[in-house]
Amino acid sequence: MSTILTVDHLDKSFSGRQVLHGVDFFVEEGHVAGLVGPNGAGKSTIMKAILGLIPIDGGGIEIAGQPVSITSHQALRKVGALIEYPGIYPFLTGRQHLELFAAKHHQADNIKHIVDALGMGKYIDTKARLYSLGMKQKLGIAQALVNQPKLVILDEPMNGLDPQAVKDLRDIIRDMAAAGTSFLISSHILSELEKVADDVLILNHGHIVRNTSMGQLAESGGVTYQIVPDNLAQAKAALTLANVTFTLEGAGIVLHENAEDTALNAALYALVQQGVAIRSVDRKARDLEASFLAMVQAEKGEA
Amino acid sequence: MGTLIKQEWYKLAHKNGTWIAIGVMVAIQVFVAVMGRLYPDVALLKPEVTTIVDYYGGGLVIFIAIANVASTVSMEFQYGTMKQLLYRQYYRSQVFMSKVIVAICHFVLLQAIASVVTFALAAGLNGYDWMAVHQGRSNLAAYGLSLAGFMLMGLMLLSCALMLSTVLKTNAAAIISGFVGYFVVEIASSILTALIAKWEFLKWNPFTFLLVGQQLTSDSVRSLTHLSDPVMIAGSLIYTLVFGLIAYASFRKRSI
Repeated sequence: MSTILTVDHLDKSFSGRQVLHGVDFFVEEGHVAGLVGPNGAGKSTIMKAILGLIPIDGGGIEIAGQPVSITSHQALRKVGALIEYPGIYPFLTGRQHLELFAAKHHQADNIKHIVDALGMGKYIDTKARLYSLGMKQKLGIAQALVNQPKLVILDEPMNGLDPQAVKDLRDIIRDMAAAGTSFLISSHILSELEKVADDVLILNHGHIVRNTSMGQLAESGGVTYQIVPDNLAQAKAALTLANVTFTLEGAGIVLHENAEDTALNAALYALVQQGVAIRSVDRKARDLEASFLAMVQAEKGEA
Repeated sequence: MGTLIKQEWYKLAHKNGTWIAIGVMVAIQVFVAVMGRLYPDVALLKPEVTTIVDYYGGGLVIFIAIANVASTVSMEFQYGTMKQLLYRQYYRSQVFMSKVIVAICHFVLLQAIASVVTFALAAGLNGYDWMAVHQGRSNLAAYGLSLAGFMLMGLMLLSCALMLSTVLKTNAAAIISGFVGYFVVEIASSILTALIAKWEFLKWNPFTFLLVGQQLTSDSVRSLTHLSDPVMIAGSLIYTLVFGLIAYASFRKRSI
């Protein structure tokens, strides 16, 4: 698998204030990378720099091995993007927007495919000035994807979308990624982002503070199990007798297990030995939201 | 570049205002020609007067073209579409040039429509003799000379409107300035020439060069501007270029 996007020690200042400090990461072909961070962390600045929209102070960007800068755009031929908010001409219909930006090769097929995939058929021939926020957002996404790019940059793509549209978008991203398209997506809706992202980049104050795969992120935070027994009092007694550490949450028992621990096995053995019936066992890995919030909390603690 | 030009045309062609403006312009031309036929004795409606200004549609050509060029850059910022234009494989210079080329083509096309309608109305309604000679020039030659001067003045006004809309980030100021420029040419030229008579150096101000169209068709204007025809033509082109370059420099520096 080869690298489609390389961001190498990227520095950027605005009016003497440095907003990006040696930002370093890469995105592999067919991977979906999630870029998360608090407001003002520098997410949109990174995306604009990747798209050659703003000059950079130091470092470099390459797409498929070709450099990108404000004066070097050839590598952007196979890139689609939606940055900040969708740009819409009110005097054009949705279809006319797509015709305007779609490449001539297989234009009709590509437009039909993306219109169907995003469920835009009912209003695609209506003037865009009559569109709701969600409709405009879908049109912006459609414009980014219509030419079947090799790399897609999406800044808060779920803004204004209803749950069905969010699911449709998720399916499109996964299908395109399976076909080899790479994505760099920023979103504040972390629960949705973690459903599509393969890798995650956590950005804070212009620094990448975490760069890992979603799998590693889940593993590093450990795993919790929630056991709901038939009789909570009997279960507590059994676990105490077996020296298993646990906490209570409602009618359930919560076990926290690190990689080397066997707390679950010990707990289940103790419960079965004491004849305690078990209604359910749920496994929960540490999620992106928890990691992100932990980072923000740690930051507050240091301040 | 070809793709960018096609995209600019596509946007222009899909604005209702583009077609409404052309419709209004042609309607005014037809109305004036019909009135000229009904009232042949009214001086302002005589074909010798009306054909040279395209049955008063010529004035609208520049107004429509100014309104278009003033919005060609500012609308992209207003609608938030500039990012989409610039993140692709094209450069800012190419995006800017495509807009300039389409604005000029639009201006030329409008004038071509106005001229074709003028010839059709002159032949059909007014029986105008294009080959008749007045003041040593055929009517057709006078029309051609007037047209050339009008195009030079128009290009200068368009580049000025483009510069102002890009620098001031609004199309309103640019449209107003274009209209003011046209007003100077049509109405306030006597004030300008009086000022030039008093202070010679004032002849180099850009408004003087807006009179290029009048000077090419009227010998008397030459003595008022204190500039020869070649200097007027070159000066108007130089101002057009300078305004265009300022517009480009401003466009390059605009943050996205």
